[in-house]
Amino acid sequence: MAEDTATEDPGAPVRFMPQLIGLDYTIKTNPVAAAFGAALADGRITGHRCPSCQRVYAPPKGFCPICVVPTGEADLVEVADRGLVTSWTVLTPIQYAGQKEREDYALASILLDGADGTIGQQRLVDVPLDEIRMGLRVEAVWAPPDERVADDRGYGLGSAVSGWRPTGEPDAPPSAYQEHTL
Amino acid sequence: MRDVAIVSFATTGPLPAVDDTETQMLFPVISEAIERSGIPRADIGFTCSGSADYLAGTPFAFVGNLEAVGAWPPISESHVDMDGAWAMYEAWVRLQHGDVDVALAFSSGISSRSDLREVLCLQNDPYYLMPLWADHGSLAGLQARAVAEAGLVDEVVDTVAAPPASDGAAAVIMVAGDRAREVCERPAWIRGIEHRSDPHYIGVRDLADVPSAQVAAAAAGVGGGPIDLAELSAAHPHEEVLLRRAMGLADLVEVNAGADPLMVAGLAHIGAAATAIHEGRAGRTLGHAASGPCLQQNLVCVMEGTP
Repeated sequence: MAEDTATEDPGAPVRFMPQLIGLDYTIKTNPVAAAFGAALADGRITGHRCPSCQRVYAPPKGFCPICVVPTGEADLVEVADRGLVTSWTVLTPIQYAGQKEREDYALASILLDGADGTIGQQRLVDVPLDEIRMGLRVEAVWAPPDERVADDRGYGLGSAVSGWRPTGEPDAPPSAYQEHTL
Repeated sequence: MRDVAIVSFATTGPLPAVDDTETQMLFPVISEAIERSGIPRADIGFTCSGSADYLAGTPFAFVGNLEAVGAWPPISESHVDMDGAWAMYEAWVRLQHGDVDVALAFSSGISSRSDLREVLCLQNDPYYLMPLWADHGSLAGLQARAVAEAGLVDEVVDTVAAPPASDGAAAVIMVAGDRAREVCERPAWIRGIEHRSDPHYIGVRDLADVPSAQVAAAAAGVGGGPIDLAELSAAHPHEEVLLRRAMGLADLVEVNAGADPLMVAGLAHIGAAATAIHEGRAGRTLGHAASGPCLQQNLVCVMEGTP
């Protein structure tokens, strides 16, 4: 081992050893996420209202991480399928195997009416990329009912909403989103 | 050294296969440990967690788990990719600094959603053992044979039971000095806590011995008095044999051994050893945690009921 050429001779060619690793996991849907997904399939976006601070979490977590109290069905609320853009990113897709995107597109964080936190990585549609702005009011474009697959773990909307398009209403004022920008 | 005691403990115990997220599983356990301590959540000066995102296959799960703590306003916290016993060790070190008096240590593990034999291969060295996919169950089999061939057990064990695949969570509250006496009738005072590691590469080890457990036990002061109860992280019977020999516990009657669930077992054993003191069932106890294949790393915590 001490005579290993790779360490003795810095000019020696570097040898590579491919080591392909794949791990399989079973993904489970927790009860809170399952109820959220069932509502999504029905065309509704639901959340939990913290009984202590009244903040509405959509998707629901089953607890309020700020007050550290559990939430449940008694705290269930429905939030609107419309809201406003708080921040966004324009992505330029690099072509690689499996890449389906060909054109620049935008993902946004959206503050839904009736919710106190944003949902992230939402596709914006029917809007020129250079016209996206904070405060832009948008509404959900629902996927056909048989294509509404919720995220297994309840992290987002899954494929239930295919995108968000401008409503044409006046922009929301900065006071509506200043606490929700990163 | 500053006097530090475990004043409360909570755990789920081994769960067969949870539907909840890791954070949802942790939530009631952390709350229970805090409530049992009688200390307001806001008084916790340091928080440390132990978990491994590879188990449930959720990247940055350890960050999301902080939602079960109450991390707003921002708190001082840290994480180890190890059994919660090492999170507890870091919290103990933090309390030695002297500027905070209360610490929370917790851990969680969801092993039911993967093939542990595959996942735990990734803890082997990447050059010699990992490419062989030498899983920890097979390596435990090698150690069982080495133990048998060394004459430490009566008969050769040809098969080693499947590794644990349960889920679970645990949490302890640790308090320094007089505050511990105020909140707990019989605090479990940490008299010694040490951890050591044997070489990473299995091939250079004598698998019929666990020097790291022996050194850690000696450094933690195990031999300084009689142990009433030992809680050992031993996934297999031959591991208990090795640990008893290494720590000088060969004849101890009160031993609870088991290593289920992964990432939680060590902290849960220490918590159980502390609880025995809280409840007046024991005066001097030992809690042990192990990590890595073939008892590679060992942590020993000696606790006493008398200040």
